[in-house]
Amino acid sequence: MAVVDVHRFAESITCHAWSPDHSMVALCPNNNEVHIYKSSQDQWERLHVLQKHDQIVSGIDWSSKSNKLVTVSHDRNSYVWSFEGGEWVPTLVILRLNRAALCVQWSPKENKFAVGSGAKTVCICYYEQENNWWVSKLIRKRHESSVTNVAWHPNNILLATTSTDGKCRVFSTFIKGVDTKDPKAGSPAESKFGEPILQLDLSYSWAFGVKWSPSGNTLAYVGHSSMIYFVDDVGPSPLAQSVAFRDLPLRDVLFISEKMVIGVGYDSNPMVFAADDTGIWSFIRYIGEKKAVSSGSSYSSQFSEAFGKFYGQSKSATTNDASESSKSRGGVHDNCINSIVSLSKSGSPKVMRFSTSGLDGKIAIWDLENMEEELGHQF
Amino acid sequence: MFQASSLRLYLACIKNTLEAAMCLQNFPCQEVERHNKPEVELKTSPELLLNPVLICRNEAEKCLIETSVNSLRISLKVKQADELENILTKKFLRFLSMRAEAFQVLRRKPVQGYDISFLITNYHCEEMQKQKLIDFIVQFMEAIWKVQDIEKEISELKISVNTRGRLVATEFLKQFM
Repeated sequence: MAVVDVHRFAESITCHAWSPDHSMVALCPNNNEVHIYKSSQDQWERLHVLQKHDQIVSGIDWSSKSNKLVTVSHDRNSYVWSFEGGEWVPTLVILRLNRAALCVQWSPKENKFAVGSGAKTVCICYYEQENNWWVSKLIRKRHESSVTNVAWHPNNILLATTSTDGKCRVFSTFIKGVDTKDPKAGSPAESKFGEPILQLDLSYSWAFGVKWSPSGNTLAYVGHSSMIYFVDDVGPSPLAQSVAFRDLPLRDVLFISEKMVIGVGYDSNPMVFAADDTGIWSFIRYIGEKKAVSSGSSYSSQFSEAFGKFYGQSKSATTNDASESSKSRGGVHDNCINSIVSLSKSGSPKVMRFSTSGLDGKIAIWDLENMEEELGHQF
Repeated sequence: MFQASSLRLYLACIKNTLEAAMCLQNFPCQEVERHNKPEVELKTSPELLLNPVLICRNEAEKCLIETSVNSLRISLKVKQADELENILTKKFLRFLSMRAEAFQVLRRKPVQGYDISFLITNYHCEEMQKQKLIDFIVQFMEAIWKVQDIEKEISELKISVNTRGRLVATEFLKQFM
């Protein structure tokens, strides 16, 4: 039902990104390389290996309009790769960082990208036509610890960041000459570069994944204290909600509609959160219940289930009475899921397909087509 | 019987705490360029550490779990009722610590005030299954407990051997009186 395809690409995957037509996937197999796979007749074929970084690659993003890849790594560098004559050609971006780069995302218009770093700064990079060069501008303000994730507002100006100091912040990234002033939006988005718009101090622990809803009205981020936070009316008087759940903390979130969010994390099973008519958010259910996996139609998911069972058995065999109740997870992933990526066509209001990757080296593609009645919500 | 069930509770508590604490991720050092070190050992950025958890069964037996963003340290204090047990435990744990590489998660030197320490990093969580790692720690603790039990039996044996010897000797010497 929910899972369409599962494939194990490596021992562990740190991050992944899809090509504009979703036929290719770029992933980092937990080392300094980026592998690009193409799917052809139920087979994944490795087309390219991008070797330029010399430490683990921590972030990949693939722009949908310009077909460019951006990668960042713990070696403090970033490359923009463009596909020319059958080869991926790298362009070094001087980030001016002195610590590891942790995450990257293209802006909606794809004329900028943002890099979060361990140097407690955010880099906004843009292309300078006359020098044929990517230029990086730094937001040095405010962050008291590493920036773990960044998310662009659909208006291409506002950027939300999460940090291990537990805060979520929203900045303006207006760059003269790159961004044009939008006459009808007289909002804080018009303030100058690096201006902090909002600082949310809801979490007592580290904050990780952050995302905007498709319209940009709601912001969701997760804390390491098994909490997820939803913020409406981002601006001078935000409306915040905290939702606690009983399982292990989340690492990343994805809005599938204005009223529904999928969270993934250490529990290795995606969770669904939804807002009711009054706008109150709550935990609904797990997506990958065991039932959902066993009825998976494709061969690969059945195989992975059998594999999971095998692991589950060997696990329980080694435990004895004093350490009983080792629950076998039995889901699609069997280690922490660290990223969730939308697989919808750009511009569609709902995300019907998404993919998750985790430390177990698998990428799972989920389809929500048949989930609608089951979730029974204003999808 | 009572001891066995209290041990089970103690281990279950440790197990559940570890389950919640073992949520680690790759996290590069904020202080030194191009380094990646277990934060729980360096303790350079206080915001990357969580509050440590101390689980005590009694005064002599306790377990300290310290967590950071990319690493976790578990320190155990094992019961040592008398001199003999103290020596035996020390020798046994030293034997293990010297072979720390073989155990991967064992720390070469225990944290001060404890008998043995484990250091689990995000790399261990990537390579191994979390559940198995937790089971390993719990089984390890059980093993120590069992070894101590055996030693106790030996020392009882020793005493009974001594008493028997004394009895035999008195009986034997009686004929010369």
